[in-house]
Amino acid sequence: MSGAAPVFAIECAGLTRCFGDLVAVKEVSLQVAPGEQFGLLCPNGAGKTTTHHLLTTLLAPTAGTGRVAGVEITSEPDRVRDLIGVVFQEPALDDRITARENLELHAVLYRIRPRWIPALVQQALAWAELADRADVPVRTFSGGMKRRLELSRALLHQPRVLFLDEPTAGLDPQGRRQLWDRVAGLRQRGLTAFVTTHNMQEAESCDRVAIMDRGRLLAVGTPAELKMRVTGHPEATLEGVFLELTGRGLRDEEATPRDRLLGFARRGGELTR
Amino acid sequence: MIHEAAVADLRAPPARVFDLRVALALVRRELLRYRRDRAQWFGGVSRTILWLVILGYGIGASYTNIEGYTYTQYILPGVVALNIIFASMQSAITLVWDRQVGFMREVLASPVPMSAVAVGKLVGGATVAAMQGTIVLLFAPLAGVALTVPRVLLAWAVMYSLGILLMSIGVLVASRLATFEGFGSISNGIVLPLYFLSGAVFPLRGIVGLGGFMVDLPAWLRVLMYANPVTYQVDLLRGVLLDFRQLPLPLDLIVAVALPAAGTLAAVEAMARMRRAG
Repeated sequence: MSGAAPVFAIECAGLTRCFGDLVAVKEVSLQVAPGEQFGLLCPNGAGKTTTHHLLTTLLAPTAGTGRVAGVEITSEPDRVRDLIGVVFQEPALDDRITARENLELHAVLYRIRPRWIPALVQQALAWAELADRADVPVRTFSGGMKRRLELSRALLHQPRVLFLDEPTAGLDPQGRRQLWDRVAGLRQRGLTAFVTTHNMQEAESCDRVAIMDRGRLLAVGTPAELKMRVTGHPEATLEGVFLELTGRGLRDEEATPRDRLLGFARRGGELTR
Repeated sequence: MIHEAAVADLRAPPARVFDLRVALALVRRELLRYRRDRAQWFGGVSRTILWLVILGYGIGASYTNIEGYTYTQYILPGVVALNIIFASMQSAITLVWDRQVGFMREVLASPVPMSAVAVGKLVGGATVAAMQGTIVLLFAPLAGVALTVPRVLLAWAVMYSLGILLMSIGVLVASRLATFEGFGSISNGIVLPLYFLSGAVFPLRGIVGLGGFMVDLPAWLRVLMYANPVTYQVDLLRGVLLDFRQLPLPLDLIVAVALPAAGTLAAVEAMARMRRAG
């Protein structure tokens, strides 16, 4: 972990993941510089969550290599997990315990020494603006509060690289704005952030954006570069770039087990959690 | 922010094989969830009243005794087991939710060894189950079962053994489920057979009929009952609480030690596979 800082915070070459016959991610190669905010812009069901899972070591690639914070994702996944912070699409909080208890649990998972835990937890609560709700079960929180708590939790162990998968999913416009302001504020800490999204406006605030469809990277560059290169107009929107590259057809995907599970919970499967 | 100088000392060195702090933190999580879950509490109490008091007295009116014990006394250990079966299955099945869209993803993305996660889950769930089982013991005086401190301590040991075994079975099932749509049938398909086929509600040897004749259980039923691991722990529990057993003690003990141990290893393996699978 010591020694010279890696040249790239994230780099991968030929990263591929298949599920049976389906190629979810195909030969993805990219580099993200330290301190950069990198957006992966991608329609639903076109490979962004799989890419997120590959880089965060939740899935092993079928082929290809990748390094995060200079560490190989396939041969040393535990060391990668040590160095990254992860925020998932749906809150990965235990909503039957309190915000403070969630943060304390996180601190133990990341081997924070006991003497640091109270201070770090208090700091994380303050940063999430949840100090006054610290001892209430998380299930009583709004979507925005849960997101702030998760983001703050992902930063608690001081990761080098932060991975966010659709961090604004399910938030209202105010909540989205607020969350992106927070992510943008992390730039000052020199933290690298890798954010997946299908929201064009949100991707505008990234330093660089990669556009992905059907598991392949179609283009990578700053938002301004992509607008110029793809549409020829500097004042084009990222949405224009995106539609130009991915086509305009509607996407109907079959419900995944995860969708069915969420549907079941919405219908009242409370017992199940 | 905490100063950079402190950062070097912020975290303990990695524990690659097992991490006791993580296991204990996950046990604490199960207890925190249980403490706030009044519905589970209520379920434990209402099941006890329904089975022990209502059924115990209702059926007890027809059976004068089973080998010298009243029916209520006879089924008390079984009702302890019933509460443990319910609590274990409920705790294990939350893994399906947890892994797909809940807290378990936070754990999978963290650097913890999965052995500690599995042990924390099993021991945490078994602890909650033992507490649910203890609710039944509170009714023991009412059922005419005299408790002593050694009896209660031994009963807790058996309850843990049963809880760990059922938790590991539950974890093995939950780790193979992608959704909950089959949850109702699975829980009924596991909980009720484990209970009814354990000798909890009728003795293994057969039932003394109304005329006082011994009615033997059919052979197929006996085979199922002997194949049910819960049978041996219920027998042990009845031995501890009533000094009455229907099976040889060494056999009970072997099952009560070996199966939870084997189940724990299988659950550790299943949860380790969870991390990089699918």
